[in-house]
This record gives sequence, structure tokens and C-alpha cells, in this order.
Amino acid sequence: MFAYYPIYRGYFRTSLMLMFQYRIAMLIWLLGGIIEPLMYLVIWRTVSLQQGGSVGSYSTNDFVVYFIAMMMVSHGTFTWIMWEYVYRIRMGQFSVMLLKPIHPIHSDIADNIGYKFLTLTVMGPTVLLLAWFFDASWQPAFWTLAAFVPVLILAFLMRFYWEWSLAMVAFWTLRIDAMNQAYIVVTLFFSGKLAPLTLFPEIVQRAADLLPFRWMLYFPVEVLLGRVTPRDLLIGLGAQLFWLLAGYLVMQLIYRAGIKRYAAFGA
Amino acid sequence: MEQNPVIHIDRLTKVYTVNERDAGLIAAMRSLVKRKTRDVNAVDAISFSVAEGEIVGFLGPNGAGKTTTLKMLSGLLHPTGGRATVLGYRPWERNRDYLRRMTLVMGQRNQLLWDIPVVDTFELHRAVYRIPEAQYRPAVEELTELLELESLLQKPTRNLSLGERMKCEIATALLHRPSVLFLDEPTIGLDVTMQRRIRRFITDYNQRTGATVLLTSHYMADVEALCKRVIVIHHGKLLYDGELTGLADRVAPFKTVEVKLQNGLNDRPLAQYGELIAQSEGRITLRIPKDDTASVTGRLLAELDVADLTVQDPPIEDVIEHVFSQSPDPSVAPDSQHANGD
Amino acid sequence: MFYIRLFATYLRIGILGELEYRANFWISLVQSALDLCVALGGLAVVFNHTDTLGGWRQEELLALVGVYFLIGGLIRTIIRPSMTKFMDDVRQGTLDFTLTKPADSQVLVSIQSIEIWRLVDVLIALPVLGIALLRLGARLGLLDTAVFAVTLLSGALIIYSFWLMLSTCAFWFVKVENIQVIFMSMWQAGRWPVSIYPAWLRAVLTFLVPVAFATTVPASAVSGRITDASLVGTVALAVAMLLVSRWFWRVGIRFYSGASA
Repeated sequence: MFAYYPIYRGYFRTSLMLMFQYRIAMLIWLLGGIIEPLMYLVIWRTVSLQQGGSVGSYSTNDFVVYFIAMMMVSHGTFTWIMWEYVYRIRMGQFSVMLLKPIHPIHSDIADNIGYKFLTLTVMGPTVLLLAWFFDASWQPAFWTLAAFVPVLILAFLMRFYWEWSLAMVAFWTLRIDAMNQAYIVVTLFFSGKLAPLTLFPEIVQRAADLLPFRWMLYFPVEVLLGRVTPRDLLIGLGAQLFWLLAGYLVMQLIYRAGIKRYAAFGA
Repeated sequence: MEQNPVIHIDRLTKVYTVNERDAGLIAAMRSLVKRKTRDVNAVDAISFSVAEGEIVGFLGPNGAGKTTTLKMLSGLLHPTGGRATVLGYRPWERNRDYLRRMTLVMGQRNQLLWDIPVVDTFELHRAVYRIPEAQYRPAVEELTELLELESLLQKPTRNLSLGERMKCEIATALLHRPSVLFLDEPTIGLDVTMQRRIRRFITDYNQRTGATVLLTSHYMADVEALCKRVIVIHHGKLLYDGELTGLADRVAPFKTVEVKLQNGLNDRPLAQYGELIAQSEGRITLRIPKDDTASVTGRLLAELDVADLTVQDPPIEDVIEHVFSQSPDPSVAPDSQHANGD
Repeated sequence: MFYIRLFATYLRIGILGELEYRANFWISLVQSALDLCVALGGLAVVFNHTDTLGGWRQEELLALVGVYFLIGGLIRTIIRPSMTKFMDDVRQGTLDFTLTKPADSQVLVSIQSIEIWRLVDVLIALPVLGIALLRLGARLGLLDTAVFAVTLLSGALIIYSFWLMLSTCAFWFVKVENIQVIFMSMWQAGRWPVSIYPAWLRAVLTFLVPVAFATTVPASAVSGRITDASLVGTVALAVAMLLVSRWFWRVGIRFYSGASA
């Protein structure tokens, strides 16, 4: 574990430098991550105000806090790897990565974390600004706040391993746009990005329980909002660990098969 | 020759402003706020003329300013100073009539559409250049014949080999029968046979249409086969403009003398005759100043048991290499190599 | 006339290219269907809990979705692929070929890549729009139809000019293709009437990223809620943006060739 520390430090450095070079791109991704939750925040806030101040168990303020939290969690856990891989394989960058004596996922994780830290400088003020603008009030319980840290880290890793696995599909076909989009749509409905899951019909909620997506986004948001019981928290942590492990295994399998294919066919 | 040149450039200059950044994170952050810049003379007051129908080789190492010059002549770059006319037009005004009469081929980049058959790229080219049917058909037929394209035209570009792709690139670029051709490394990366074919084609096209050709290449075989005249630039400055054969005399006044000795070398001190370039099994190659050729060969014949002796001009590669290694440019810092227009 | 023929050639090439990858048709179909899922699913979830959203009824929002797909289809068919190719060309230096062509570079760049299968979006938009109109019980007179057509055309031109300006930035900055990502995420905000957004966001979606003109305005024309002022404003903006983007393109080209640098 600690053997990776100097490697990660090196990656951080270079990725930070790259990001300065591509500072525009950096801001653009960031803006995208702000717009979507903001859109749904506005819609649900409008609906809630129209309905006399609440929808289901969510008050107008709850909606505001929910989507701001969703913005943070989504930003904290998102990856761009599914778009990056096609480019990598097409441009032959992947061959270079293979030559390095370390699994390529590490440089991606380091890149991602580096980006997240850097963009905190924009995300932080944005969140505060939105909270002020929409007059959000949020009283977290101390224990859920503490639990949020491991939950977020697990969500991040889970998402990383799963999306990295999906990115590997690029070894078989470079035309992955439809798949990526399907993934986005599915997450939209089952992760709580579009609306809190409790506002969906029963069947969607049950399906969401069985899929990994709610544990990537909805669950961390609920924890941050303090909308969980200790029992929920434990179940959620268990589900996250399960999906993380599954993601890890899937990633290993797909990666090995992908490398084999890459070696056989090239790009 | 200077009566009515097709290409005429006069003290043409291009200065690039490049961003400078030191290594390291701090420097990266600083560059966000303020950028250090530096001027680099990519092309430095070059003048020359090319007459109609000439094929001129444009030589120089990477970063010498060849591509920058070609880009200015094909209207892609504005010069910082100086003048240029091609076919009477100022290239960078990009007059449509001018564009219709010239072409630019870049060996390292291609314009063929990747997924569709080559012939459809031709069609597109025809639409863009508004080539009338009466002119288009014969042009396609002629190019197909000269470049042996029949079997390639119906294939999508992605299925072509590098050499086939280059042939099609060149054919596309010539569909509108340009009378001025700028060829930037047209044979780069191709095998020897394909290089030869493309050379032959360029000669053919030149003879058939009387087109003027300005060509850069790293392959001396290209230059030797195609160009009577060469222009050499280095660090943006003109070093030589004249006959290819004269280049050796002018910049590398040496001859190569190859001597075969009857009884092996026997440890004779050979350095006294000239610079020893190669030696193997009784065969030695010496480089001697041109003016000393007669006296040195005389001495060699008199003092050694010579079985065979030949005097040659040095290979053009050697000459070129000699030029570029012997002429450090005083006005440009040595690290300005990267600031080329490629 | 010349440019129409040129466009036809590019269209033909687009069809040829896409025929090479017939799977793309199915991929596009899936993608459009997914998009429709998001749009309709979103509507369904929201209208499960309310009757109107910011004064818009469900049928009116359905019409908005139709317009959203229509313009979105145009973006995906021509504007985005052409601009993507343009940015690639800038990065790889192949733009030089375009610039040595004896035709208007802006036109060449704007129509150079056509993804024909993306017209699926348009095919989806039409029934959605039709159903919305039926449910609205609207009878579109000649005038309404004309107003709708004018706003739609203006919206399309505004969006085109906007993309062109964004893409032109590629002359100065590397990696601007990410701007497309941001545009497409801003664009999805156009699925909802801009009137529901807070004033500052409405301003952003109206003037900074002119999504409102391309979606909300034509949709309000079709549901009979457009004002004369916004009709005139939209047309005026379309003309202005066309001119400004043309000017900016020239500045970009001049910069690229080192003329004004």
C-alpha cells in the first residue's frame, strides 16, 4: 500500500501540471458537473413551491440541500475514463502506458484525485454560493458526517473500478458512445441524480436497490444529509463493499481479456 | 530565368513569438498569470526566385524554416516582413484564383477522408475546386495511369498502405491541375520503390504541364533525382542557392579518394595524405581538400603500392551534413531548434 | 448555388461514410431513444407530483421536448461533427488543407462532416411534436406556422453561430473540444422552459449560452404564448450572432496565419 505513495506523488505532480496547461478543459468539465444538478434543483424547488412547500418527505429546503449535496458527491466520484480510453487506444498512448511497470489504473486514480483537489477551489465556493442563494439550511448529525468520509471514499473507488471496467470495452470496439450514454441515462434514473429515489415509483426504487448506482451517489448524499438510520448506514456500507469487490474482480477480468485482445489485434 | 519568375520572394521574414516556461509546478502556476515570451526568427530575410517549370529542392535540417516558408508561399502564414509573389499573387491574401492554381502536399498529413473510397474524396475535391467535367475526367484518368491507381480508387482510405495513401494524396492535390506545387516531404516514410515511383511521377507531371515545383525532402535521392537547383537554408537564413552540383564545391570543397593497396596497409602513416574516413582490408577512403587533389593523388601513387584509385565528389548527404555541422549561426541561440514551423 | 452543390457533395459523402458503419444507425437509434427516455422520464417523474411547472402544462412541455430534439438533431447531424473535425484539424495541422481551398473557409468548416444517422433525433422529434400539438388541441394557422418556422430557423442559426464562435477559440486554446461537453450539458437545461430558472441562470441560458432561443422560444411559439417582442428579439439576435461569429471566425483565421499576432 505505502509502496505506491512515491508513485502517486509523482503522478499527482505531473497531472497537476498538465491540468494547468489545460486549464480551460478543467473548468469546462467542472461547469458540466455543476449545471446538471443545478437544473434538477431548480425544477424540484419549483415543483415543491408550487405544491405548498413539500413533495413527499422532501421540503423545499430539503430539495435544495439534496441537489447541492448531489453536486458535491457527483463531483467527488465522477470519472472521465470512459471517454478517455477510446482516445488512448486510438492514439497509441495505451501502448506507452503498458510499458510502464505499474498497473495503468493508478495513474488514472492519481489524475482524478489531483483534479478533484484542484477543482475544490471552484467547487467549494460554488456550493457556498448556491447554498447562500437558495437559502439552504443544513443541520447534519455528527455521526453521519463522520460516516460520510468512508462512504464517499468507497463510492469513489466503486465508481472508479466499475467505470474503468466499462472503459475497457474500448478494447473490443472504439464506438462506445451509445454504451456510455446508456450508462449515463441509467445512472440518471437509478442513482438519484434526477430526483430523490423516494419520489420514483415503487418499482424503480426496488430496482435501484439491486443496482450499484444508488450506492455510488444517492447513498452518500443521504448520509451527508443525515437521512439514514445507523442500520441503513451499515447496510449501505455493506452494499458498497460488495459492489467495490465485484467491481474490482470485474475490472481484473476485463482488463486481462482486454490486454490479450489488444496484444492480438493492436489498436 | 529571372525574366518572369513564378515565385519571387524578397527578404521574406517570419518571427514567431513562443511561450517560454521553466520546468516545475511553481513555474506552471506562474505561467497562468504571466507568460514569458521570446521571439524566434524562423525565416530570416530570405530572397530567391523560381522560374516557370523549375523543380527546386529546398533543403535544411529540421527547424531551418522550410515548412514556414512553404506555408507562407501557400498562403497559410502571414510573413512578419518582406515580400513574396507567386504567379503574381500575394499568397496570404488567399485569392481564390491563386488557390485554384497551386497546391500544397504535406507528406506527414493527409486530407483523404478516412472512411470513404478515394474516388469520393476526388469528387469532393472536384466540387470544392469547381473543376468542370470536361477537365475532371481526363485529369482523373491521367493521374490514375501515371500513379497506377486503378485498383485503389474504390477502396476506403483506411484500407490503403502508407505508400498507396501518399499516391492518392498527391493525385487529389493535383486534380485541379495546379501550376505551382509545394511539396513538403512528399516521400517521407515510404519505401525505396515507392519513393522512386513518386519521384518519377513528379518529373512526369512537371514535363507534361510545365508546373513549377518547390520541394523539401530529407531524402537526398529525391533531391538528386529531381532538382537541378537547390536552395539551402539553416536557422532561417539562406546559405546557398544554385546548382546542386555546385553545392559541394561551394560549401564542402573536398574530394573523396578511395585507394586500394596491393600489399595491405602495413601500418603506413596515412594521415599525412588527408582525413581518413574509412579503412578496411587494404582499402582506404580519404577526404582531401579539393585544391590538393592533384598533388595528393600524385603522392599516393608515387609513395604507395596502389592497385586502384578513384576520385569522387563526396556524397550529397555528407555535403549537407557538413554544411549544417560547420555553420553555427551567430544570431540565433542554439536552443531555438524547437521553434520551427513544423 | 456553388455552396448548395458543395453541401450536397458533403451530404453524399456523409451517407457513404455512414454506410460503411451501418451499426451507427442502431447506435444512434439507441442513443436517441435513451435521450427520449431521459426527457419523457423526467417529465413523468416531475408531473407525477405536480400539474404545472412554472406555468407550463405537461403537453406544452412535451412540445418543448419536440423542439429540443429537432434542434438537437441538427446540432448532432451537422454542427457538432463538423466542429469536432475542425478542432481536430487545428490540432493536427490538417486545417491547412482547408485553408488552401478556393472556397469560403467558414462554409467548408461548417459543413465538412455530416453524421446522417443523427437525423434519427429529427425523426423522433416530429411525432413528439405532433402528439404534443394534438393533446394541446391546437389548430395551427398559417401565421402560427410561419412564426414557428421563423423562430425555429432563428434558433438554429443562433445555435450554429454560437458553436462556431466556441470552436473558433480552438485557434488560441488547446483542447477546446471539451467545450462541446459543457455545451451539451447546458443544452439539456433547454429541455425545461427557461422561465423556471432563477434570473441569473435564465440570463446565462439566454445570453451566455443561447439555449433559450433555440428551445423555449420556438416552443412558446407553437403553444401560442410567444410575445411580439421575443419574436423580434430572436430574429434580431440570429442576424447579429451570424455577423459576429463571421467576424470572429475571420479574426481567428488571421490569428492562425499570424497576421495580427
